[in-house]
Amino acid sequence: MATSVARPTRDLRLDFFRGLSLFLIFIDHIPGNVLSYFTLRSFAFSDAAEAFIFISGFTAAIVYGTMFRQRGFLLSAAHTYRRVWQLYVAHVFLFVIFTAEVSYTLNAADNPMYAEEMGVGDFLKEPHIAIIQALLLRFQPTFLDILPLYIVMLAGFPVVIALIHRHPLSALIPSALLYGAVQHWSWALHLYPDEHPWFFNPLAWQFLFVIGTLCGHSQTLGQRVLPDQIWIRWVAGAIVLFCAVISITWLIHSIYDPFPPVLFQVLWRPAIDKTNLSPVRLVNFLALAIVVISVVPRESAFLKGAIARPVVLCGQNSLYIFCLGILLAVLGHFVLAEITDRIPVQLLVNAAGVILMISSAFIIAWYKKASRPPASAAVADSAE
Amino acid sequence: MGLKHLRYLIVLGVLLPLPAAAQGSTAPPSGCEAPAELVQDSPQLPEVAERLKAKQALVIVVIGGSSTTGRAAGDGDAAYPHQLELALQRRHPGIGITVLNKGVASETADQMAARMERDAVAENPALVLWEVGIADAVRASDLDEFTAALQAGITQLHEHRIDAMLIDMQYSPDTTSVINFQPYLDGLHKIGDLANAYVFHRYDIMKYWSDAGVFRFTDVPKADRRELATKVYACLGERLADAIAYAAR
Repeated sequence: MATSVARPTRDLRLDFFRGLSLFLIFIDHIPGNVLSYFTLRSFAFSDAAEAFIFISGFTAAIVYGTMFRQRGFLLSAAHTYRRVWQLYVAHVFLFVIFTAEVSYTLNAADNPMYAEEMGVGDFLKEPHIAIIQALLLRFQPTFLDILPLYIVMLAGFPVVIALIHRHPLSALIPSALLYGAVQHWSWALHLYPDEHPWFFNPLAWQFLFVIGTLCGHSQTLGQRVLPDQIWIRWVAGAIVLFCAVISITWLIHSIYDPFPPVLFQVLWRPAIDKTNLSPVRLVNFLALAIVVISVVPRESAFLKGAIARPVVLCGQNSLYIFCLGILLAVLGHFVLAEITDRIPVQLLVNAAGVILMISSAFIIAWYKKASRPPASAAVADSAE
Repeated sequence: MGLKHLRYLIVLGVLLPLPAAAQGSTAPPSGCEAPAELVQDSPQLPEVAERLKAKQALVIVVIGGSSTTGRAAGDGDAAYPHQLELALQRRHPGIGITVLNKGVASETADQMAARMERDAVAENPALVLWEVGIADAVRASDLDEFTAALQAGITQLHEHRIDAMLIDMQYSPDTTSVINFQPYLDGLHKIGDLANAYVFHRYDIMKYWSDAGVFRFTDVPKADRRELATKVYACLGERLADAIAYAAR
């Protein structure tokens, strides 16, 4: 989205870590993937989904928030909704592809051992209803659940940014109260079929998105994103270390039984409650974000280097690469399920997916640069 | 693929195909062995061990879904609970061992936990096998509710001094590309760990059979399906008997 708005140099950390989270989402979305045991979630209670939503809020504040200040509510809301529309179209596209795969698999092999249970794969029996539900975001087949969350978050963004400009607390306090209410009363939105809840409960996840938006907002105003006290960093570092040690003992325990999993009884159930973004996940993620911001300075040479570049490019074109990643995960899973899931093949599927994501990002970046009029070519495309 | 399976693959490197598949139900099925790694788990079954040692009669209840009812094989005698009963009777002649089949098709963990008292505890069993997770994975139930239901069910059994064994999902290559079993498998295994219940890794064992060519679960002609299911259930009954023997040693 080319805008004429002048802005300070882009914070490449956002692109880098968003790119990284796209790789991790791809890897984690292939069920049973060996590599998925060694992604962020094995070293923390939170995983790439938190990073993705936080950074999405952050960049939305930079792009549409800046526009809000300079061009007013209406235009920035219109731009936001153009983005929402793109995401929606992408979701429907992924849905069609996924449905094609499911139909193919179910028809190619109606299964002798699952006679009854498979009947619950109801949506092929009543496609007329399933399609309408999918268009209403009320039918989210497994694996297609992050995009609907992102769509809902961004749809609420114009209100959030307007409140933040009035006073940051007028956005943060209602958001925190809603989050607290969800934790306490387990409020949920329900989906088709069987009224099962959204995998990512938007009522809970909005809190992280609003926090990300607030951080992005502070950055556009040239304020510090975080308070400068050094003790905050130490506390964050201690939390990250603590959660990492615990998660690693769990990982070792699941490979080698006799190794004791520390605090397993107390923390495991909350740690897997991704649906409601349990407080342990949220705290762990925020601590992780503080540590990362402290350890990787904005001007870090690494971010401009050759190693980081493919990741940064993926992050800069996140919508395309995200969709591609989900698509590749579905295809990769298909290959592993239908042919073989031997470990060398798994590694090959992972490598092929990441390489395809990176090469697509290079092509998209080249295309954008090449098709821009020379004068504005220097302005990076932050909306992505 | 669970981590147990992963570790197994790493240790062995390659899978060696095994000889011909299982036979009928009168003799123990052969050719469908499974690596000890996949059958053995650390929790023990003290109640079962005590009865076997004292040569007392014992009752085992199986709570489960449609694979427990044995629908794919046509009738209850072919279902794995009955096959387990035969296997145990062969191993412990003279001890009255009864396996009660309380399978109800398409139930989620919640629904099964709700009838635990009436269907399992009331029968005064030494052991309850809980076959669970397929309906939850198919419906993509809330993972937190799924694990909570499992934990509640097992706690209830342990409070009544009844041994508990969880049986995880069935494997077949096609279903895994449509249904995301992994979180429910991981959840079930972790709950077994948390609540100290033995986990019977049916998924990994069936996957092992499929990979090794013992059974072929894809493209099975309609006419052969019942026979396939019958053989698989007989083998599962036998491997369950191995697991019980190991845990009650």
